[in-house]
Amino acid sequence: MADFIRKASYETALLISAVILAGVSLPAKTHGQAKTRRRPVPHAVVKDAAPVKTYGSHSAPITMEVYSDFQCPSCRGLYEQALRPLINDYVASGKVYLVHKDFPLPMHAYSYEAARWANAAAEIGRFAEVEAALYDNQAAWSADGNVQKYIAAALSPAEMKRVEKLMVSCHGAASTGGCPLDSWIEKDATAGHTIPVQQTPTSIITYRGQHYPVTGAVSYKFLKQFFDQLLGQ
Amino acid sequence: MGHSVSWTKGRILLIVGRLGLAVVFLIAAYAKLRPASSGPFSLDSLRLSLSFFALQIDSYQLLSTNYVNFVAHTLPFFELLLGLWLLSGWRLRIPASLASALLLGFFGVMVRTYALGLEINCGCFGPGETLGKMTLLRDGSLLALSLAVTIGAFWTRSARGGDAAVPAPVPQKAE
Repeated sequence: MADFIRKASYETALLISAVILAGVSLPAKTHGQAKTRRRPVPHAVVKDAAPVKTYGSHSAPITMEVYSDFQCPSCRGLYEQALRPLINDYVASGKVYLVHKDFPLPMHAYSYEAARWANAAAEIGRFAEVEAALYDNQAAWSADGNVQKYIAAALSPAEMKRVEKLMVSCHGAASTGGCPLDSWIEKDATAGHTIPVQQTPTSIITYRGQHYPVTGAVSYKFLKQFFDQLLGQ
Repeated sequence: MGHSVSWTKGRILLIVGRLGLAVVFLIAAYAKLRPASSGPFSLDSLRLSLSFFALQIDSYQLLSTNYVNFVAHTLPFFELLLGLWLLSGWRLRIPASLASALLLGFFGVMVRTYALGLEINCGCFGPGETLGKMTLLRDGSLLALSLAVTIGAFWTRSARGGDAAVPAPVPQKAE
């Protein structure tokens, strides 16, 4: 009997110690998670920078910044499946302010060139058309590098002339450092590195000062569901 | 003298492993259910957290959109239940086996995702955690722990012909 009581006491003490230890470690761990989850995005949303690569109103309650690479298939997937309907719905109704951020990856041969064309088009206020053309024809220009062909198809001849003028010093790898458009791309990429963006696409959704990072391509259905929940808060 | 030293050591390890696993599942559930915004816990905050978790699951590109919401809305509660069950120690073989099966599934998905080069948020302990070698190592270790607890639970039962939560008969030492 005494043996049984001693053993039971020993096991109970062990159990209580383990529960206490778990109780001590739980708040510490969750606090760490809270830090990860609510990681502040250490850059301000640039709302008035030229060239304009944004959709919608600055005063929309939700801001969604998307770091993407025009040659990345997942970025195309996000644009075609989620951002396009989002622009037509939540952006058009003033609920979402969508911001494109350039994050060209070195593994893609033509993504930097495509970003230059997109920034040149943004300088004349034609970013939306060029972004759509780049993603719609991604497979074609990714194969032969002829980005210009699809930019020309998306713009009027007069607009194309203006864009080509901005691109004069930007063709080819030899122009690195001499292209004025590169500063806009680098500005976005630097902002991305400070988050840090580890893959494209990466989206930072901001609502009432709270940041919600989302990586990878997601469906419109779940983006819409999340936005509805946010707006219903 | 009651149990042999190895028996006692085995039981201690089993208790520690069980509690460790319980804490892991409780943390995982809490990280998914806690308010995603800075506000207090409420039904709205819970819905927001679950819809954000659905976004994480969707980014895995593994489940069809029909199943994403089901998994997002049931998995955190299942993890909570499993954590509490493991903590109680009642019929340990069942929650330990369920935990092993769940962790095996998670690990399989993570390995597949990593092999595909999709370096996405794993969402294991809430959103914002990117899948990488360290997360694979961590989940692999958890799977090993869970399998050890499962084997221990079955071994303990077969060694004394009862359940782990029931005190084992005390073998008498020969005088």
